[in-house]
Amino acid sequence: MSQKYNYKKAVRLFLYGVAILVMIILLVGALNIVFLLVAAFAYRNMDISYIYGGTVMEALTLTENGYELAEEMKQEFVKQDQWAMLLDESGQVVWSIRKPEELQDSYTQADIARMTRYYLKGYPVQLRVWEDRIMVVGLQKDAVWKYNLEFPISWMDFIKRIWWSYFLVNFAWIVVLAFFFTRRYTRKREKARIEWIAGVSHDIRTPLSVVMGYADTLEHGEELPAEARQQASMIRHQSLVMKELIADLNLTSQLEYSMQTLRREKIRPVEIIRTIAAEFLNDSLPEQLEIDIWIAQGAESMCVKADRQLFMRMFRNLINNSLKHGGQNDTVRIQISMWEETRKCRIRYADNGVGYSEEILHRLCSRKKGTPGNDIHGLQIVKKIILAHGGKIRFGNCEEGGSYCLMEIRRERMN
Amino acid sequence: MHINEYKILLVDDEKTLREMVCSFLQRAGFYKVITAADCRQAREWFHKEAPHLVLLDVMLPDGDGFSLFEELQKNSEVPVIFLSARDEDENRLRGLGLGADDYITKPFLPEELILRVKAVLKRVYRAKDMREEEIVALGACRVDMGSGVVYWHREENFDIKETDAEVTLTAKEYAILQKLAQERGRIVTIDALCDAVWREENYGYENTLIVHIRRLREKIEEDPSHPKYLLTVRGLGYRLI
Repeated sequence: MSQKYNYKKAVRLFLYGVAILVMIILLVGALNIVFLLVAAFAYRNMDISYIYGGTVMEALTLTENGYELAEEMKQEFVKQDQWAMLLDESGQVVWSIRKPEELQDSYTQADIARMTRYYLKGYPVQLRVWEDRIMVVGLQKDAVWKYNLEFPISWMDFIKRIWWSYFLVNFAWIVVLAFFFTRRYTRKREKARIEWIAGVSHDIRTPLSVVMGYADTLEHGEELPAEARQQASMIRHQSLVMKELIADLNLTSQLEYSMQTLRREKIRPVEIIRTIAAEFLNDSLPEQLEIDIWIAQGAESMCVKADRQLFMRMFRNLINNSLKHGGQNDTVRIQISMWEETRKCRIRYADNGVGYSEEILHRLCSRKKGTPGNDIHGLQIVKKIILAHGGKIRFGNCEEGGSYCLMEIRRERMN
Repeated sequence: MHINEYKILLVDDEKTLREMVCSFLQRAGFYKVITAADCRQAREWFHKEAPHLVLLDVMLPDGDGFSLFEELQKNSEVPVIFLSARDEDENRLRGLGLGADDYITKPFLPEELILRVKAVLKRVYRAKDMREEEIVALGACRVDMGSGVVYWHREENFDIKETDAEVTLTAKEYAILQKLAQERGRIVTIDALCDAVWREENYGYENTLIVHIRRLREKIEEDPSHPKYLLTVRGLGYRLI
């Protein structure tokens, strides 16, 4: 039951994690877009309006005295701190405006080819072919940064073919990252909770020892009147109940939130059954309790991989439950049987008590968490222990009266 | 030395708990009880007083009981009973195999504490001092656990020195009887008996155990087919009454 819930919770948290990561990535993307927009806006506002070859050529007319540039264009060149020159087909400068002095008046084909892509002696230039002439419009040194890009078509085709897998890998990364982050987060939270409960139960135990100890002293003290001794006995008894509740709380929290607390080892269930049965029989009168153990032929050697302490706890809880609900005057009869079935270890625990009520059975079988209530706390723990070991459990009432509990857990091979 | 003369060192940081445990121990007859609130005091008293048993809390203000235990065990073989307030410690106590003699989980009843203290003291020091307790009486039969010899006497007045017959127990029979006698009146499971007799890797000895029990009965029971003292608890184990 709890495992199912953990699973659902984990999936939910994981999806949250994916959503958060996607959101982070989208947010970063959005921030990038905003940055680019701001940059573009700033670029526009910087009032960078270069003079282009085409504009110059429109303003340039050939007169008898040579080339003549319109007056406003001349002013524009001054304003933009630019220069221009017109080369004829032989590479000679036939016209120029504000041409830097270090530039020569004649250019070879190689010079022209070079300046087309890069700089002319450090001056960034733009070329425009006009009929058989070339208009060169330049800026001052370091005014413009130029960069040329070129890729082989085959490589571009390759990119076109694989771009989707790039996105797929990215998406996978998001999923994996989300998984690890959420797992770390949930582990941390669960650990904090378990530790908190463990801490509280630890802190309660020492004062409870004192309460129990002194109540016991008073109960056995001859100097007190019978009534006071009776009350002391009640305090001691209720303290024991509290002790059990604290232990249950601690155990429940550990079982519910982490599987790691299981200390699995190879154990023989028969040994544990006998130990616990002897423990209870030793501490009760023969007419109070009878435990009948039936082990199928060959099942004696059967092993399971389980937490010894938890398995002991499980049988203690079952027997305690039978004692609690057994008749006050009648002998509580318990029958524990164990056998093997299709490589599974099956244990049937039955008593001669009043049986489980419909409501209790419903609560034991239901997957809803809810508040279990104290009366079946012990049985809920039995169920949690079996489930934590990957086993199956069923509660029910026997036809001849009493209740039963059928447990199943994978058996291990004996060495 | 009488059991009550053993010196007990109690280490726990909680004053009220110290006072309470102290009073229990004293009421149970242990009049030499020393208390310490932390590791530092515990070390000091340990070296000064050389106690016979240490009751040690796992969580102490200036360190943990496990480390202190390991430290104390370096130079002495003093038995230690841990007082633990956490279920988690139980696993550690078993898992680490520290060799602690016992542990008690808080909260505990005084009776439980006293029983464990006495059991540990008996187990550790009995070999030296408690020989007088080592006669197991079973009706007309007496078993001297010191030598493993079974004495029989048919008359009322029993004296080991004047016996009709005597037989010796084998090592396995002795181990079985010793285990049963330690838990006299209580059921001892088949597994616990195999554990006591064959120690490790004891699985598969159940049938052999039955044979040994039968031989043991032949030695200590008047009518081995209808035992009066070594009883079988069906499906579980045996009990010596």
